[in-house]
Amino acid sequence: MSDETFAAGFMDDYFAECDEHLAAIRRLLLELGGAAASAGPAPRAAVDELFRSFHSLKGISGMVGLREAEALAHHLESFLRPLRDGGRALTDEGLDALVAGVDALEHVIASRRDQRAAPPIDAVVARLERASPTAAPVEAPAASAPPAPQWRITFAPSPALLARGVNVDTVRARLRDAGVILDAAPQIHGGSIAFEFAFAGALDEPTIALWREDGLRVEAAPEPLAADAASTLPAAEMATPVGPSHVVRVDLTRLDDLMRMIGELVITRARLDASLGRVEGHVPAAEWRAVQENTQVMERQLRDLREGVMRVRLVPVGEILRRVPFVVRDLTRDSGTRVRLELRGQDTEIDKFLIERMMDPVLHLVRNAVSHALETVDERVAAGKPPEGTLTLAASSIGDTVVLEIADDGRGIDEAAVVARARAMGLEVPDPPLDRGRLLELICAPGFSTRTDTDRASGRGVGMAVVKTTVEDLNGRMSLETTAGEGTRFVIELPLTLAITDALIAQVGDRTFAVPQAVVREVIELDPAALRRLERHEVAPFRGGTLPVLRLGEVFSVTPRPGRALHAFVVGAGADAIAVAVDRIVGQREIVVRSLDDALIQVPGVAGATDLGDGRAVLILDLPALARHRAASLRRSMEAAS
Amino acid sequence: MTTVAGAETFILFTVAGTTYAVRSRDVAHVEMVEQVTAVPNAPAFVDGVVFSRGQVVPALNLRARFGFERAAYDLATRLVVVQTGGRSVGLVVDGAREFASFDPSLIRPPSAALAGLSGRYLEGIANVADRLILVIDLPQLLLFEDPVLPDHA
Repeated sequence: MSDETFAAGFMDDYFAECDEHLAAIRRLLLELGGAAASAGPAPRAAVDELFRSFHSLKGISGMVGLREAEALAHHLESFLRPLRDGGRALTDEGLDALVAGVDALEHVIASRRDQRAAPPIDAVVARLERASPTAAPVEAPAASAPPAPQWRITFAPSPALLARGVNVDTVRARLRDAGVILDAAPQIHGGSIAFEFAFAGALDEPTIALWREDGLRVEAAPEPLAADAASTLPAAEMATPVGPSHVVRVDLTRLDDLMRMIGELVITRARLDASLGRVEGHVPAAEWRAVQENTQVMERQLRDLREGVMRVRLVPVGEILRRVPFVVRDLTRDSGTRVRLELRGQDTEIDKFLIERMMDPVLHLVRNAVSHALETVDERVAAGKPPEGTLTLAASSIGDTVVLEIADDGRGIDEAAVVARARAMGLEVPDPPLDRGRLLELICAPGFSTRTDTDRASGRGVGMAVVKTTVEDLNGRMSLETTAGEGTRFVIELPLTLAITDALIAQVGDRTFAVPQAVVREVIELDPAALRRLERHEVAPFRGGTLPVLRLGEVFSVTPRPGRALHAFVVGAGADAIAVAVDRIVGQREIVVRSLDDALIQVPGVAGATDLGDGRAVLILDLPALARHRAASLRRSMEAAS
Repeated sequence: MTTVAGAETFILFTVAGTTYAVRSRDVAHVEMVEQVTAVPNAPAFVDGVVFSRGQVVPALNLRARFGFERAAYDLATRLVVVQTGGRSVGLVVDGAREFASFDPSLIRPPSAALAGLSGRYLEGIANVADRLILVIDLPQLLLFEDPVLPDHA
């Protein structure tokens, strides 16, 4: 068996572990960034932890044979060493190199995950070496600094010592204050545990005496401890005597399986309900009450179970927002803008799958805000605004919805420019002022940009069009507020999770459909006699205005049942609002969403399928997509006719 | 790829009087066809979707795919659920009651004279115990070469 097939088995674990380390690294870099800004020494604990993360990444990358990642992690680790051992301050340039190195490391790991060739790392490595604090010619390299005396220090915890407040953590802190812990390892001696530290530092006699009093065995190291001691894993990780961690790492697919099983349970319960409905008349009333009570309890418990599993999938939104400061830092470096970032609601939790999909769109909005919306310091001062622009990223949850807000206090969207650009692209646009929904639609039109594509922030693969489709794919909604000279705010509403959702069940002819409730603004009754035809459109009077009507039966070539009234779902707002008419709405249900993955059955307007309890697949409609598709084909047929 | 020399197992099924085969390692299961839900605007040879063991799979009508007249489902109609290239697709066939073991080297390329509508979906023809069996080229069969959606207004 080759190393590679051997490694293949570990890869999932490897990527999961990388994710954890990279998340920690990003958090730590922020901390270091704060210190670099204030020109203070790098915070020791953060540097230590960062060092450990790079060290672990180096180790595991070597294990799976990802040489580029191993090399990068190694260089990052080496870069940190002078900071860790010598207490050097981290320069701005150094931080940039560090951030670039981490960026490259992420890319290398991601490219292996996507089975692409790893990007070249030489430039980044060279940059790290250049920026290394040891590279300064006046400073002697740390390695050749006069070696501090080295000691072997052993600590055996005991209840008596503990009572005096001496435990392994205080010992470690004490050693850190006095010097450098080179290595640490727990040792088992005759059934009891002891911690052995390799330590370098100048110790005077009183200190040694004091330590011995506190139960430490202090011996001068017989020979210099392991030559490479400085690069071995620092103490805390190895020797931390805390109990087993209470965190379990679970593969997302296992949770998906669990969710699917719960979904099946929900369906079975629906079937049970249907069967019970049929026997109701045959059971004595008293017995029936008991049966009903039990099914109701079961329904509640099932809901709790579903919630419970859903919670497990949730991760704090902060995980995606954590990257934002780097993006902002990167963009503002030589742009003449200054940006204050305000993060709110980072603890808001959202489904892991959703958050991963939202990462790029959110970053895109951030880049747009920083490079297009926020003015330079001079411009802001001239406009009487505070010199520093504010970019706010806020997350909050309302019921089963998570709301993400990306807001800036910049120049606002230039409506006239948007309209001019849209007209140049051949889009039909009314004169300003535009409805905000329409404005958003324009800037999200494929290929739309008011700037040239050579702009620094573009060319990253996502445009506003992708932002919009991603949000819609996730059953979310996006809206826009913007005021010239005051700022712009994007609000994205997403369902907490996709797997199970509340839906309205509707019928057209002999077909049954499910419509996710989140997209329905309103359910209305239409009088067929009141509908009017305007050219190719059918419109209904609605609140003093009119509302275009889309008959589902027509779209899906189903003959509707003749009836006195039609029911309709109102979707979209403002100029986008449309009524989708069906024969009748038969109820509201909790449905389990199954996606239609195969290309053969991916059609516009159908988001998936569900089982209402009879084993039959019921299509879940994506009404906004249906409305868009309909509008697009109407436009095409009008163009063809003209 | 099976490296064992000799026979491989195939699931046999009939469509419009002809016997076809797919490798049994590509077949997840065979089931009765019930309750196919039509999917509007899907390709014409797709009858719709079915729930098969908790998964939604497209039901691809082989009569339609091969250019024959569609037939009403009856008691013999089967759904052969195949799994290949990460996809699961159900094939609606007139009947599937047999399997056969034969050496894949018996599969000969289809002769040019046989080039009908199904010709492009064939890996070849096997002559097994005086029966002619058309072996399906699954990836080719499932290829959806024309994803342009009909302009339905």
